[in-house]
Amino acid sequence: MRVVDLAIKDLRQILRERQSAFFLLIMPVVFTLLFGFAFGGFGGGDDEDPRLPVGFLNQDAGTVSEDLVTLLAQSDVIRLVTDTMDVADLETQVKDGVTAAAVIVPAGYGQHMTAGELVPLTVIVDSGNASGITAQEEVTAAVTRLLSALQTAQVGMETAVSQNVISESDKPAYFETTLARAITAWAAPPIQVAVSQSGAVDESGTETAVSSDNAFAHSSPGMMAQFAIAGLITAAQILVLERKSGSLRRLLTTDMSRGSILLGHYLAMFVTILAQLFILILFGQLFLKLPYFQEPAATLLLTVASALFAASLGLLIGALAQSEEQAIIFSLVPMFVLAGLGGAWVPLEFTPEGFQRIAFFTPIAWMMDGFKDIIVRGLGLEAVLLATAVLIIYAIIFWGLAAWRFRFE
Amino acid sequence: MGEYAVEVHDLHKDFGEVYAVKGVSFNVQRGEIFSLLGPNGAGKSTTISMLACLQRPSQGDALVMGHSVTAVPQQAKAALGIVPQEIALYDDLSARENLDFWGKMYGLRGAALQKQVDDVLELIGLTDRQKGRIGKFSGGMKRRVNIGAALLHKPDIIIMDEPTVGIDPQSRRHILDGVKALNQQGMTVLYTTHYMEEAQELSDHIAIMDQGEIIALGTHGELVRIVGEQDRIDLRINAPSELVMAHWQEVPGVSQVTADDGLISLLADDSNVVLPRLFEVATAVNVRITSVEIQEPNLETVFLHLTGRALRD
Repeated sequence: MRVVDLAIKDLRQILRERQSAFFLLIMPVVFTLLFGFAFGGFGGGDDEDPRLPVGFLNQDAGTVSEDLVTLLAQSDVIRLVTDTMDVADLETQVKDGVTAAAVIVPAGYGQHMTAGELVPLTVIVDSGNASGITAQEEVTAAVTRLLSALQTAQVGMETAVSQNVISESDKPAYFETTLARAITAWAAPPIQVAVSQSGAVDESGTETAVSSDNAFAHSSPGMMAQFAIAGLITAAQILVLERKSGSLRRLLTTDMSRGSILLGHYLAMFVTILAQLFILILFGQLFLKLPYFQEPAATLLLTVASALFAASLGLLIGALAQSEEQAIIFSLVPMFVLAGLGGAWVPLEFTPEGFQRIAFFTPIAWMMDGFKDIIVRGLGLEAVLLATAVLIIYAIIFWGLAAWRFRFE
Repeated sequence: MGEYAVEVHDLHKDFGEVYAVKGVSFNVQRGEIFSLLGPNGAGKSTTISMLACLQRPSQGDALVMGHSVTAVPQQAKAALGIVPQEIALYDDLSARENLDFWGKMYGLRGAALQKQVDDVLELIGLTDRQKGRIGKFSGGMKRRVNIGAALLHKPDIIIMDEPTVGIDPQSRRHILDGVKALNQQGMTVLYTTHYMEEAQELSDHIAIMDQGEIIALGTHGELVRIVGEQDRIDLRINAPSELVMAHWQEVPGVSQVTADDGLISLLADDSNVVLPRLFEVATAVNVRITSVEIQEPNLETVFLHLTGRALRD
C-alpha cells in the first residue's frame, strides 16, 4: 500500500509540473503531425491514388517494353506518369518532388533483352529522398520479374522446338505467347505463400483495415516511442530532487525497504507513460484514423510492455543523474539516439540492411515494429508477442541496472 | 524493558581508512533530553545515522527501546522519529500534503492519519498555513514542518540532528520551546547540536564529541566541574600573537592559551589575579590589548579545556 502512496505522491508532483504536459502530450502530438505531413508529401486526400508517382518515358517500340509497363502498373507502391516526353522535364520533376523517380526505357531495349543481353534502364532519383529509393526498389523488382519471364519464355520455346512441338516458323509467336503468360503469372502466381497471423483476416476472409497509405502510420508510433522517453524527464528530476533534499534518505528511516521505495517510484513512471501512450493512441485512432483499436488485445499488450520498458529507463536515468540538468541530458541523449537508430524518424525499410540490423538492438525498433504490425500490416496479438517479449527483457535489464546504481543519498 | 530508551555500546564506523566514529558508548534515559554536542565533523551525525538504521555500524551495537539496530532494525525504526539536518520535504506539495504523505509512510491511514496531521499542524503552529506550498515557506517554517513529519506516528524517541541550523532567532526559539514541550509530554529526545547554549538550555545529559569520540559525558553541572572554577579570558591584540602567547603561557594561574582567527583564549584560575599580569606582559613585549572578555565556566570552556580548541572550530 505504501508503494502506491509513494507513487501517488510522485504522480501529484509530476502533474503539477508544467513541463510534464509539454513533454508528455504537446510535443508528441506536434511532432506526430509534423513528421506525418513530411512523410505525406506525395500523398493526397482519400480519393487520390496513394502510390508514389514515377515518371515514365518509353523510347522503345517493342512488346517487351510494353510488358515492363504491365509489370510496373501492377505495383501497389508506384504509379506511372506517362505524360512527359522530355528527359530534362523528367529530371526537373524529380528534383522538384513532383515525382518520386523517373524511368526511361532506351530504344532497342526489348530487342536486346530478348536476345539475352542486359540493357540498363535509366532511373532518375533523388538519393536524399526516401520515397525515391522506395520507387527505385520497386522498379528493380519489376525488371527482375521481366527478366525472369523472358528466361521462362526462352526456355519454353527452346524446349518446344527440341521436342518438335512447334516448327521454326512458329517460334516468334510461341515466344510471345509464353512471355505473355509468364507476365500474367506474376500478377496471380499459381502457387502463393499465405502468411496468416491472428487478426490479419476477419471471418469473412476480407482483409482488415490497414494504414499503409496513411501518412501518420509511421509518425504516430514513432513519436510515441520517442516521447515516452522524453516524458520521463520530470519523473527523473523528482527522483534527483528527492535525493538532494534528503527525502529519499528519510524514507529509509520508515520501515519501507529499499526495494519498495524503488518500486513506488517505478510505479509512478509506469503509470505516467502508460497514460501518455493511451492518450496518444486515442489521438491516433480518433483524429489520425489509425486502426490501433482494431486489435485491442495486441495494442494493450504492446502498450503495457512499452510503458514497462520506458519506466525502467526512467528509473535508470533517475539513478544516474546527480542534478536536474543531468536528468534532462540523460533523458534527451537516449531519446535522440534510440529514436534515431530505432527508426522512429525514418522507416527502417528505407535504411540499408546493416542499419536495420543495428536498429533491432534498440527497444524503440521493436516498439515501432510491434505498433506497425498492428496499424500498418493489420496483424494481431500473435505478431506482437516477440516485440512484447523483447521490450520486457529491456525493462528487466534497465531495472536491474537502476537498482544496482541507485543511491539514496 | 529497561530504564534506557537508547543504549549505545562501543559503536564504530569507518569508511575505509577514515574513522568517523571510534567506540562511542552512552545511554539515554527514558523521558530525558540527551544532547550530543560537538563541532562539525565530530561524528554526531554518523552516530545518529547508525541509531536511525541508515548506516550499519562497523563494530558495536545500539538498542532502541530494547531493539537492536543491527539485528532488528525494523522494530528499532518504528520506535524512532527522525528529524534530519536537511529539510527533507517536498517543495511542490503543501504542508498538509507533506505531513499526510509522511504519515502514510509511517503506516497511518484514514481518520487516524487526519487527526494526527491536525494535531501536528497545531503543535508546530502552522494550522493556518497548512495549504501553503513548502517551497514558499520561510526557513523556520520549513524546519517546523520537518520536525512535525517525525512526530506523526507518535514515536517513543525523537532524534533531532541539528534542527536549528540556518534559521532566524524567532524560529529557533519556537523550536527549542517545542522540544521542551515534547519532552514534557514524556517523549525522549536525542538532540545533536554544535551550539553550546542549546545543549545547556535543553539537556538533562550532554555528551561532548570530538573527532569521532565522546570526550566528556554528564549533566551540565558535572561537565563544568571538569574545568573546576577556571575562567575563560578572550583577548584581541594589535600585533602578531606568537610572542605574547608564549609569555602569557608562563604567567602563574594560566593553564591554557590558544588562538583562533585573531582571538586568543586563556583558561585561568582567577581572572582578577591573572588579568593585570597579562597586561604587564603585553606592555613588556610592545603589544596592545584591544579587547578583553571574561566568561564564567561553561561548556565552551570545557571543550577548550579538553581539546585545546574552541567549539566553533
